[in-house]
Amino acid sequence: MFSAAAPRRGSGLGFAMPAILLLAAFFVIPVVFLLTRSVTEPQLGLQNYATLVGSSTYAKVFFNTFFVAGVVTLVTVLIAFPVAWALAIMPARWSSVVFAIILLSMWTNLLARTYAWMVLLQQTGLINRMLKAVGLIDQPLQLTNNLVGVTIGMVYIMLPFMILPLMGVIKKIDPAILQAAALCGATKWQALTRVLVPLATPGIASGALMVFVMSLGYFVTPSLLGGTANMMLAELIAQQVQSLVNWGMGGAAAFLLLLVTLGLYAVQLRFLDRKETA
Amino acid sequence: MTPFLHINGIRKTYGAVVATDHVELSIAEGEFMTFLGPSGSGKSTTLYILAGFQDPTAGDIKLRGQSILQTPSHKRNIGMVFQRYTLFPHLSVGENVAFPLRVRRMGQDEIAQKVKRALSLVRLDGFEDRMPAKMSGGQQQRVALARALVYDPPVLLMDEPLSALDKKLREEIQFEIRRIHQETGVTILYVTHDQEEALRLSDRIAIFNKGKIEQVGTGPELYANPATHFVADFIGDSAFLAGELASVGQGRAGLRFADGSTVAAVPLHGQGMAGQAAELMLRPERIELTPEAGPEGASLPVMVEDLTFLGNNTTVSARTGWGAALTVRLNFGHPLAGRIARGDKLHIRWAPEAAHAFVRG
Amino acid sequence: MLLDFDKLGAWKWALSAICAVMSLFLLLPILFIVALSFGNSRWLIFPPPGWTLKWYEELFADPRWIGAALTSAKIGLIVMVFSVALGLLASLALVRGSFKGREVLRAFFLTPMVLPVVIVAVALYAAFLRLGLNGTLVGFVIAHVIVALPFAIITITGALETFDPAIEDAAILCGASPWEARLRVTLPGIRHGLFSAAIFSFLISWDEVVLAIFMASPSLQTLPVKVWTTLRQDLTPVIAAASTLLVALTVLLMIAAAVLRKGKSE
Repeated sequence: MFSAAAPRRGSGLGFAMPAILLLAAFFVIPVVFLLTRSVTEPQLGLQNYATLVGSSTYAKVFFNTFFVAGVVTLVTVLIAFPVAWALAIMPARWSSVVFAIILLSMWTNLLARTYAWMVLLQQTGLINRMLKAVGLIDQPLQLTNNLVGVTIGMVYIMLPFMILPLMGVIKKIDPAILQAAALCGATKWQALTRVLVPLATPGIASGALMVFVMSLGYFVTPSLLGGTANMMLAELIAQQVQSLVNWGMGGAAAFLLLLVTLGLYAVQLRFLDRKETA
Repeated sequence: MTPFLHINGIRKTYGAVVATDHVELSIAEGEFMTFLGPSGSGKSTTLYILAGFQDPTAGDIKLRGQSILQTPSHKRNIGMVFQRYTLFPHLSVGENVAFPLRVRRMGQDEIAQKVKRALSLVRLDGFEDRMPAKMSGGQQQRVALARALVYDPPVLLMDEPLSALDKKLREEIQFEIRRIHQETGVTILYVTHDQEEALRLSDRIAIFNKGKIEQVGTGPELYANPATHFVADFIGDSAFLAGELASVGQGRAGLRFADGSTVAAVPLHGQGMAGQAAELMLRPERIELTPEAGPEGASLPVMVEDLTFLGNNTTVSARTGWGAALTVRLNFGHPLAGRIARGDKLHIRWAPEAAHAFVRG
Repeated sequence: MLLDFDKLGAWKWALSAICAVMSLFLLLPILFIVALSFGNSRWLIFPPPGWTLKWYEELFADPRWIGAALTSAKIGLIVMVFSVALGLLASLALVRGSFKGREVLRAFFLTPMVLPVVIVAVALYAAFLRLGLNGTLVGFVIAHVIVALPFAIITITGALETFDPAIEDAAILCGASPWEARLRVTLPGIRHGLFSAAIFSFLISWDEVVLAIFMASPSLQTLPVKVWTTLRQDLTPVIAAASTLLVALTVLLMIAAAVLRKGKSE
């Protein structure tokens, strides 16, 4: 069938021009410039990358970044799977309430949410006092200005990004397949581990990848909940540029972050999307 | 005399793909012309070129002797009803029908009057304030028809307008379209892939295949005298028996089949000489099943393979001596029905004019 | 049976419990801020010893907070207009265009959304240093349009894809010029998508922190920047008051978006 409207007059590319020009001038060119500065400042060469890879200070930043992103992804998946599963099959009146809460949290100002966790997790905060009240601890735990705080705050932020797509994937699974599994003699546990989880795996994998990538580049929550001693990659970039005015190092760190981000997206496009459609 | 609408050698290619190839057709004023063909046969492309949504690679279209190709779609003053529902979802039925008049900057009173008349024509009086989403598919297409007719276009294009509707509703609206055609006298170009719809509605039918018009004619003409194998196959059920030409002369031919049996004096379509591959076409309702062989040259022996009772007729599946399959229909109450069984050896016979031979090319 | 809620048996309660706990986990911080903003403890004791409106008074008495909020609103509205306008044009090209490489272009338009914001922020910061756009309204607007545009494009292309182009064709055959058809038929037909895109674009600008931190100057800062700089000094309940207002605005806009969606389904 022909779409009659399509090949009428001109190709329509002109309509996209304002957006293309805007992105070219204020997105592509600046990013390319920043990346080139990593090999031209302070002088031509790869010395910025050598420093980044060679020094133990930066190694710790990389470790923090990947470690936190990994833990956040893992925890998020473990919480999100049962929630998404429940949301996919719950009666609508309950799921719509949970859904509204997820959307509310997702759209609440990032700083407001981070602020709440800063207050909740501080030494005299509600969490510590509750733990003390029930007798689990004697001394308040150190929950902010370290990676524990960052992880809690990040899981909070990433949960919706994992739950929503995963719910869509589970909703698309035909319940008859699970009924067939039960008729074949599978126990609930077997049906879960051998049928439901494998069927949801493409969704879990692409959601996990997205959460991991987003966590790698996160700036606000790590810098507020992690403190300066526990720097992550995004903060490093900002610090190099803003406080140290070291554009070469900032550009190099940005380039590495960009490389990892795009690499992981490429993995997703190449393997995960294909799996879903197959 | 110049024809009312003249489609003159329209050709449309997309790169190497030929969508329509030298489509040539004249349409009289007030005629109901249907483009019938399978999908991808070029019938819709021809319609879109008429509408101005696509420009032809070559050829011209003339309305009352004037080429319309240089006129943009919105100035062609052509009406069109689409395959999908195309009512403007944010406007009421009344405003939908008024839309063509509003863009023509007509006066308020004239618009109100014409909208009322158009809705009355499609029997939707009083539906002015209804929103399209609250109407059935059939009603929506009737509103679309009113919208396409409200500005009195000289030509109305209809692109499979009923294909989204169920069978019963389709027949109901086919009847409405016929009535509206008679009442308004508008020239209609109708695209469909449904032969029954084409036969029911049209004055003439143009059969499209692979971008070309195979034959143009009234329904009975096409049925009785198909010019090509494709037309014979597309209109009505037919059996095709492959063989070769045994003799050719005066527009008639004799055919020989694999087991040596022959038929004679069949009207021949296409140029051929003895020895060339050809096909014998037989319409199932014009074949007679008999216990004895018929006249020489208009009869073949067959063996009954299966019988299916279908209410008003019994369909007999049979095989010729060389193994080709064909079906014969026995009307309810036919003396043979109920007396024959699988494996029976019988004969088929036909009136000489009921068979056609096509040269295979 | 694992996908039939009523046949899950004991697992049903386990799943419901996990859902409930997670909902509390998501909701608690938000309710907590709202409560704190009305509590009279400067040290954020919870539950507060008493209730007060003084943090709101402090907030509204401080011209820097008001100024920041007005700046945010102004930038948000301008961003909204540009993001929807550019997004609409780009979407028309992506959905209705016939040029080659539409999918590549679509991916290109979405890249600002998938790249870490900090990279965009640092890169723009460098560019704006040269152009003298740091600390200007124009700088803020450009930065925010770049990150809002992908969301506008996703929303508007979504609306356009469900709007049958044959409807536009019908309008043209009815005698409307192509532009008239777009304005009188296609735009009203996708108005829900346009409104959603507007709300999204505004919210993205209104809430955006990272770019704003880099673009801001002492004389021009948005509300999130003001919250950020204040947060780094101390955790004053004034921030709770400001955050509560931000939450309230979010809820209002979400309800507006939900009403729009409902209007569409009717």
